[in-house]
Amino acid sequence: MITAQFNKKLWSAQGGMQLDIQMELQQGECLTLYGDSGAGKTSALRILSGLLQPDSGRIEVGGETWYDSGKNINLPPQKRNIGYVFQDYALFPNLTARENIAFGLRKGESSALLEELITITSLGELQHKKPGQLSGGQQQRVALARALVRQPKLLLLDEPMSALDHLTRSHLQDFILEARQRYGFTVILVSHDLGEIIKLSDRVAVLGNGVISREGSPAQVFMQHKISGKFQFSGKILGIEQQEVVWIVTLLIGANLVKVVVTEKEIQGLSIGDQVIVASKAFNPILQKIRDL
Amino acid sequence: MNRIEGQISGIQVSGSLSLVSVDCKGILLKSIIIDTPDTSDYLATGTKVQLLFKETEIVIAKPGVREISLQNRILAVISAIKQGDLLCSVILESDLGTLEAIISTNAVADLSLQPGIEVLAMIKLNEIMLSPC
Repeated sequence: MITAQFNKKLWSAQGGMQLDIQMELQQGECLTLYGDSGAGKTSALRILSGLLQPDSGRIEVGGETWYDSGKNINLPPQKRNIGYVFQDYALFPNLTARENIAFGLRKGESSALLEELITITSLGELQHKKPGQLSGGQQQRVALARALVRQPKLLLLDEPMSALDHLTRSHLQDFILEARQRYGFTVILVSHDLGEIIKLSDRVAVLGNGVISREGSPAQVFMQHKISGKFQFSGKILGIEQQEVVWIVTLLIGANLVKVVVTEKEIQGLSIGDQVIVASKAFNPILQKIRDL
Repeated sequence: MNRIEGQISGIQVSGSLSLVSVDCKGILLKSIIIDTPDTSDYLATGTKVQLLFKETEIVIAKPGVREISLQNRILAVISAIKQGDLLCSVILESDLGTLEAIISTNAVADLSLQPGIEVLAMIKLNEIMLSPC
């Protein structure tokens, strides 16, 4: 379990802001911090990692105190058992993928985990290449593997996939889900991608002006109203086309294109690029088995 | 999406299914959902809910229809019809508010539907979603 409570006066172009965070996470949980730029999300991650010292507070991870202003405890980043992955992969350009990952290993630790991570990130054939020879998605896999080789209790992900294309992003999300299940670490994610948030997180905390203003499951936070439909996905509007008395909306859901018919009343307020929840009742869809070829 | 407000007046549970009866200004509408009072805390008698259903899921009949499986029936008067080649949007005024039904242009002609006519709007119980207010 992770409990954190901290304050920090932050300065930005808009002036001063008081970051005042209180959070509690269960072991293995994934919490997303969601909010506008400048709301304090990255500062919160930096404080948890030890890169930024709060003005006061207490951070406890799995029974271990990382920070306690009252007792003058402040573990340096390297003593905190975390993995931290940013949008910018921050790999060593002169080391190979494998050497970059191995850099995260502590002295005397076996390389069995290193081999396992290279396998599950599908970096086997690329392990001896240098970052400059890898694509963005491949570099980010290296960065994730490097963070995980330290067997962190807490993995901090600061928009790690925002620079990647949709398919690469989806593969990395699958990898994070699989790794989380396998190693049981807790995740705090900063993301703006609704699909990604719904796919990865158990809980969302909305951060505005330095404080958590709303908290709940992705459905509770993002849907204006909870609805009973069991056939629910989040998607992005790619096209809107009027046909007679109805409108046909083309949506990207995951990697699939689907079409949904909506009426005039509903189309008002929807535009191309909007993220939407698509809901239907579980009674409507039909299933057809795909024949083995 | 059509929205009607009401208050849960009864819940019949069987396994993970619930048949929820909602009292909407005296008209009883029913919805079947894959949730029970154990999995969804809003499922309780007296809770205010919205019933949501798609315009394309409304069946329109002339009053007096008998022997049909659709039990969710709302008496309404047609206030407008927007016509397309294949589909029509039929706007209905009822005690429960304005409803829209998308039905075939052919059916509109067959039933001689026009503004001012009284009809029954019917919805299958598996087409209604519930949302707590």
